[in-house]
Amino acid sequence: MNKHITVGHQPEVRQEFEAFLFQEARLMDNHQFEDWLKLWDKECLYWVPCNTEDVDPNRELSIIYEEHDQIRERVRRLSGKFAHAQQPKSRLIRVLSNIEIESADDDTITGISNFVLGEVRLNRQMVWFGRNEHTLVRTDEGLRIRRKKVFVLNNDTPMTNMTFLV
Amino acid sequence: MNKPTSPSKLAGATGVVSRGIPIEDLVEEGRVHSAIYTDPEIFELEQERIFSRTWIYIGHESEVPKTGDFRLRKIGRQPVIMVRGKDGAVNVLMNRCLHRGAVVAEVESGNTKFFRCWYHGWTYDTAGKLVQVTADEGYEPGFCEKMGGLARPPLVQDYRGFVFASLSEDVLPLREHLGQAAELMDYLIDFSPTGKITLSAGVNKTVYRGNWKLVGMDGYHVNYVHASVVEGWGDDENSGIAAMHKNDPFSDTALTRTRDLGRGHVLLDFREHRMASIDKYVDFLRTIPGGDEYVAAMYSAYGEEKAKRNLSLAGDPHLGVFPNLQVIGNQIRIMNPVAADETEVLMFPVLLEDVPEEINTLRLRQHESFYGPSASGSPDDAEIFERAQIGMNATVNPWIEMSRGLNREYVDEDGTRVGRISDETTQRGQMREWKRLMTAV
Repeated sequence: MNKHITVGHQPEVRQEFEAFLFQEARLMDNHQFEDWLKLWDKECLYWVPCNTEDVDPNRELSIIYEEHDQIRERVRRLSGKFAHAQQPKSRLIRVLSNIEIESADDDTITGISNFVLGEVRLNRQMVWFGRNEHTLVRTDEGLRIRRKKVFVLNNDTPMTNMTFLV
Repeated sequence: MNKPTSPSKLAGATGVVSRGIPIEDLVEEGRVHSAIYTDPEIFELEQERIFSRTWIYIGHESEVPKTGDFRLRKIGRQPVIMVRGKDGAVNVLMNRCLHRGAVVAEVESGNTKFFRCWYHGWTYDTAGKLVQVTADEGYEPGFCEKMGGLARPPLVQDYRGFVFASLSEDVLPLREHLGQAAELMDYLIDFSPTGKITLSAGVNKTVYRGNWKLVGMDGYHVNYVHASVVEGWGDDENSGIAAMHKNDPFSDTALTRTRDLGRGHVLLDFREHRMASIDKYVDFLRTIPGGDEYVAAMYSAYGEEKAKRNLSLAGDPHLGVFPNLQVIGNQIRIMNPVAADETEVLMFPVLLEDVPEEINTLRLRQHESFYGPSASGSPDDAEIFERAQIGMNATVNPWIEMSRGLNREYVDEDGTRVGRISDETTQRGQMREWKRLMTAV
């Protein structure tokens, strides 16, 4: 336990984690779907709960609850010309802050962060808020996402399309 | 008390005039005037003549299982509370304090013995009865009894747990009003071997910038609006909802049909199409997690013939119950009109009782893949509705063409009007009921 806290507080670990998050955010903002897909470990979970911050995914609805195959299908669909909800694509800029490392060891880093996401599409601007929880794993290719859970602040309120990447 | 009051601009016996056209002339057999989607005055009139004049779906009784459980819903724009009373009945109460009008339930769901208005402390029980007035010496004796309780829709009835309310007494009994739509609802309910379903999984709440009437039963749009999904079905025909739509059901040569069931209820009819390959589907069901046990339970409960029939639609009747309910996919869906150009769509995934847990988990995953704000299907519907709403601001030619299939539509032996899957039989059915309610004296 002490080892984790010590490791977690090492500035290099914080920097690595932040740098990864900023890179992921940039790829999502710029709709670089294939490059974003590469950030995911083959064994992964992408989870955006619905209604509350935490649900039992076997019995309760999520907005997204996907493993690698479905994430790849999501990328395929968004990369094509027929995903009308993103034709044209939204302009996106998100700001990540309040980044905190929760735990770290030799193989993984888990941390939380907040985001504010500006979305502009067809003469309308929306602002979205959320809190991420990322678990990253070290692989031969570098850090990869093992688990990403996103609490979207308005997940219990009528939502417009959220078909861009969060 | 519950007869809708007429707006002061009422002209003539049958309706107001919109842009110089009487309401009844806005809906013709093969076309409708787009003012019915865009005109705020017509929207206001709908609140009286549609939403206050016919059966409105409120919720499912499984959403309020224990005494005191409640949910907030709407009839049109009117806030109501659906609550399980002490006697076991599901009550529908107007969410408005008798005193100065504040809502008495301010959270969307919960469990309570009493509803207390926090303006002045007036308190109601779960039957809506006014049980306590703060400092009642300021009123005459017997005041509470005289006031009675929270206002209620005069009629609340249910069909197998689907709770409906009507603000008008001048309606058919619910079962008769539903007509054949009830048999289609059975396909969802009887997808459980014990005929029990539960809406306990939460809800997708979405909103689009378009009129509520844009949500219809449309077989014509699938290959275009959902092109990005159909494209992927080639890769894995058993994934997501692809498993339910094999053998191109959206082709006019298929056995699928559109049906106008009467009173605005409409259907994309997959029954014959699915029964044609039922054995293959049952074999497939046996391969999914929990599937063997599930199929055995269905056969045991219903006998082979009825079980096959109940299984054939995968619990998805693709039914519209006018005006605010659809039973589609793995969900029960409510459409709430907010403004002429704004609509909420609430999607409640339906879980089955008495089936292996993996069956329900798969139902959730299937729902999530196509429906919801980040899914592959329903956001493209919302986008297209918004494009229609914007386009309808161009009024040089204000007519919406709704004639597809008029040349080949026919009335079936059971009295339903039938078209091919791409025909607008369903849209015309909805418009027919809309016109009837809007112009009835």
